[in-house]
Amino acid sequence: MKRRTALLAAPVVLLGGCFSGSGDAGADGADRIRLALAFPPVAALSPWTDDAVLLTRMGAAESLVVFDASGTAQPQLATSWESVDERTALVDLRADVVFHDGTPMDAEAVAGSLNAAAAAADPPLRVLAGVGLTATAVDEDTVQVQAAQADPLLVQRLGAPALVVLSPAAYTDGAAPDPVGHGTGPYAITAVQGAESATLDAATGYWDGTPAADGVDVRFVDDAGARAAALRAGELDVVQGIPIAQLATLSDDERVVTTSLPRVTALSLNTASGVFTDPGLRAAAVAAVDPGPVVDGVFEGQADEAPGLLTDATLGAAARPAPSLPAAADPAGASIRLATYDDRPELPEAAAVLAEQLRGAGFTVEVVVQTYATLEPDLLAGAFDAVLGSRLTLLDTGDPIGYFGTDHTCEGGYNLARLCDPAVDAAVAAAGELTDPVARRQAAADLEAAVLSTGAVVPVLHEQSRTGVAQAVQGVGEDPFERQVVTVATTTGR
Amino acid sequence: MTPVLSRLTRPLGVLGALVGAALLVGALPWLSGDDPALGVLRAREVDRTADPAALAAVRDRLDLPADPVTGTLGFLGRLVTGDLGTSWVSGAPVADTLLPALGVSLTVAGTASLVALVLAVLLTVPALLRAADGRLTGGGAGAAVGGALAALPEFVLAVLLVSVVAVGWGLLPTSGFTGPANLVLPVLALGVPAAGVLARLLAGAVAAVAGESWVRTWRAAGVRRGAVVTALGRRALSVVVPQVLLLLVGTLGAAAVVEAVFDLPGLGGLALDAALVPDVPVVQAAVVLLVGLGLLVGGGGVLAHRLLLGPALTGSGLTPEVVPAGRRPRRAALAVATVLALAVLAGLLRDPAAQDVGARLAAPSWAHPFGADPLGRDVLARFGHGALVSVGLAVALAAVALAVGLAVGLLGRADRTGTADVLNALPAVVVGIVVAAVAGPGLLSACLAVALVAWIPLAVHTRTLAAQARASGFHVAAVTGGAGHWHLLRRHLLPVVGPPVVRHALVRVPHAALALAGLSFLGLGAGAESPEWGRALAETTGYLERAPWVVAAPALGLVLLGVVAALSDPRPQ
Repeated sequence: MKRRTALLAAPVVLLGGCFSGSGDAGADGADRIRLALAFPPVAALSPWTDDAVLLTRMGAAESLVVFDASGTAQPQLATSWESVDERTALVDLRADVVFHDGTPMDAEAVAGSLNAAAAAADPPLRVLAGVGLTATAVDEDTVQVQAAQADPLLVQRLGAPALVVLSPAAYTDGAAPDPVGHGTGPYAITAVQGAESATLDAATGYWDGTPAADGVDVRFVDDAGARAAALRAGELDVVQGIPIAQLATLSDDERVVTTSLPRVTALSLNTASGVFTDPGLRAAAVAAVDPGPVVDGVFEGQADEAPGLLTDATLGAAARPAPSLPAAADPAGASIRLATYDDRPELPEAAAVLAEQLRGAGFTVEVVVQTYATLEPDLLAGAFDAVLGSRLTLLDTGDPIGYFGTDHTCEGGYNLARLCDPAVDAAVAAAGELTDPVARRQAAADLEAAVLSTGAVVPVLHEQSRTGVAQAVQGVGEDPFERQVVTVATTTGR
Repeated sequence: MTPVLSRLTRPLGVLGALVGAALLVGALPWLSGDDPALGVLRAREVDRTADPAALAAVRDRLDLPADPVTGTLGFLGRLVTGDLGTSWVSGAPVADTLLPALGVSLTVAGTASLVALVLAVLLTVPALLRAADGRLTGGGAGAAVGGALAALPEFVLAVLLVSVVAVGWGLLPTSGFTGPANLVLPVLALGVPAAGVLARLLAGAVAAVAGESWVRTWRAAGVRRGAVVTALGRRALSVVVPQVLLLLVGTLGAAAVVEAVFDLPGLGGLALDAALVPDVPVVQAAVVLLVGLGLLVGGGGVLAHRLLLGPALTGSGLTPEVVPAGRRPRRAALAVATVLALAVLAGLLRDPAAQDVGARLAAPSWAHPFGADPLGRDVLARFGHGALVSVGLAVALAAVALAVGLAVGLLGRADRTGTADVLNALPAVVVGIVVAAVAGPGLLSACLAVALVAWIPLAVHTRTLAAQARASGFHVAAVTGGAGHWHLLRRHLLPVVGPPVVRHALVRVPHAALALAGLSFLGLGAGAESPEWGRALAETTGYLERAPWVVAAPALGLVLLGVVAALSDPRPQ
């Protein structure tokens, strides 16, 4: 009998607990911001991966420059810069910046940080791929950055999250810099609990004033529904990425801060094989797509109908030439497979609406939905006739030409439409040489028209970021690049 | 005890299972034919364009093995020295993330299994008392309640608990895993549906044992009611304990969806993310750990069954009796089935595909009696059209599982751990990915993946009951009398083992429908726009609070199906 009782009681022993350490280090009434970020760290917060944006979002690390809504570089840790020649720039550093570990941020430290990123990151950082960047300290607060060849985007590259500046002590492990206690932001990381949470304290002596809260307790919560529920239950103050499905469940105690993003949801039509090799049928599909029901219905108005691939904010004053499409042909029941992924919960619903519109125009449509990880190899291999996907048009450098290069040229690595048009390729190459920002914007607008004229891509909408906050919270970052969430000014209002 | 221990430690079989599981996972990149470097790069940088230079750099860094065998041998070699390897994505030691996750999952799954058992026992107490008084016919109300609970989708229950208990009432935290309060809701979400299955089994077992002659003898002899209840309960429990252990191991690596809802850093989510990349070292370590645990606990199940039955199992002390089945299903089952059928019929007359984005999530009205879904499609129409696919497939799958389960349970060695324990321990996503890689996407592949694991509880159930039947006087007498193998099987084992296992298979019918939907993100299962119930639930659970009717129709459909299945076995004459 004793043995039996022991056997049945075994699971109770498990209750002894395997609870993870809680992140609320300063629970003693301190005014701390409770933040949930949408993605867990993939590599222990190494800035040389996607974790870099987590560092900037929690206010732990900063880069030399930041971008305004149009993607133009603005001062952050650098105060000014000038081009010496077409592959060299001199960057003046902010004088009074101190790393969280007490080391002053001088030119040596910045040059060391940039050189480590350029040389040691493996695989090479996407923002520096093929650039051959070197940095040298000219004097106490001036750094010279130099590319191997002429580089119109040299200074813009310094705004990439992967190039956040960390203290020299962060680079002792050559493979992955350690940001804990080594950043310059308003809050210093004191502890990281795996991929679950991190604890930050206000940085004393922050260069841009005194942080408004005593610290930040960050949780990394994958599930959007879980984030929204925690905000509604009052367990969190700031929550990144509230799903559309949950917007209507927020009460008067919470609100959502929305920012338009340079992120386009577009339908790519396979120009290399299948039904859409016929430009006339592509034109028929372009004519059939009506973004209205997707924006108003599926996105519940929390998105902007896309006037083109790029947003108005990106193009600024540049004029958008009207694309000229060939005459639409009759689909006559042509059979197509339309693929999308469910990692963004709105995409499958949007795909169903678009499929219905295409059916109305005479196509026969089968919708395929999978998780992105299993779908990507097939997407890149051109296994589908149409792909509904979401894509950032301004990535690391705030420059739209790179997007056309990867997504719409013969050699492009993410060319879902498998577009190979010599005219587009030549235009992308020519635009990439331009140094004048205004000329680059106009070239981007012209490129957009050239791509849309092929009928290979149908822009549907531009997305918005939705940061949920408790009603009293103020000063949350409204950044079209989604890099700043907690800022020096963010207060809980408690 | 000695024979059991010797089986537990049978080194060759266990080693073979572990090596086989590791090899299967090690072969994932080769099975799918996709470049693992692409997956690793994407896991590190989502928006990165996979240019050849970057892919080559990742390949150099990973030091990818030349073939699965070499890679797995290297893994096993390191494993012997206690090194679980290094993650391809993070470059950190696998043990650093895997062991804490295992701790979390053991805590959650262990508590959930215990709660399921306790709940199931509580549901069975009335039947037990009536049986002790000789007044029990059939499975009692516990069977119907069990059938209904068993059909509750875990993820719907999880979202419901969060919005009502945590957000609405503010009683418990919504998510995270920092203290015992975080344990309550996940344990309920996992434990309640499991309790339904166990209660159904317990009800069946009590009904069967209540018909044995010793109960009449004891009652006639004036044995205390308490003593009869204890003896009855013990016999019934002996059937269920192996199922609880199966549940414990099965939940460890397969609770990814519930873990996500509650943001638990458990093994299911870890295995899911790693398998999708594929981060082979992480998945390999997770699978070897799970399979090892599965074999250990499987052996424990055999041991527990023996302990509960005591010496009766080795002598000829058991007297299971064959209760002649009636010819007519119960009226309640007919009534529920009629309601279900009418709703399905009404839905079949309507158009399930017509969209009207303007009527997004519209509340029930004359135009849409069951409301409208997020695309403004008629929920009643989708309910009706989805029923054909969902119920049809689920019944077919349950039938396959029943046939395989009975065959394996009756023909296999009476009491040993084996393939069932290994398969049960594998995370569903690993099975799904392997099947998707081998058989390609589609509904048939999904059925294959589900069928691969659906037979296990039935086989274990059969094995448990067969062990009892073989220990019965009539079986021993038949063997002594020189009866042949087939004769024993047909005349003495099947009549005793068959009916309870059929009931068990029936109660798992709704489960099969959900399991199909659980694989749809891998491209397995019904098409994206299919009205299949499981798929509809998976897609709309996020709208539970705003538009409960969207979730209610398929969820209630499954629950009613569960009730019909639980009540449909004919009342004994």
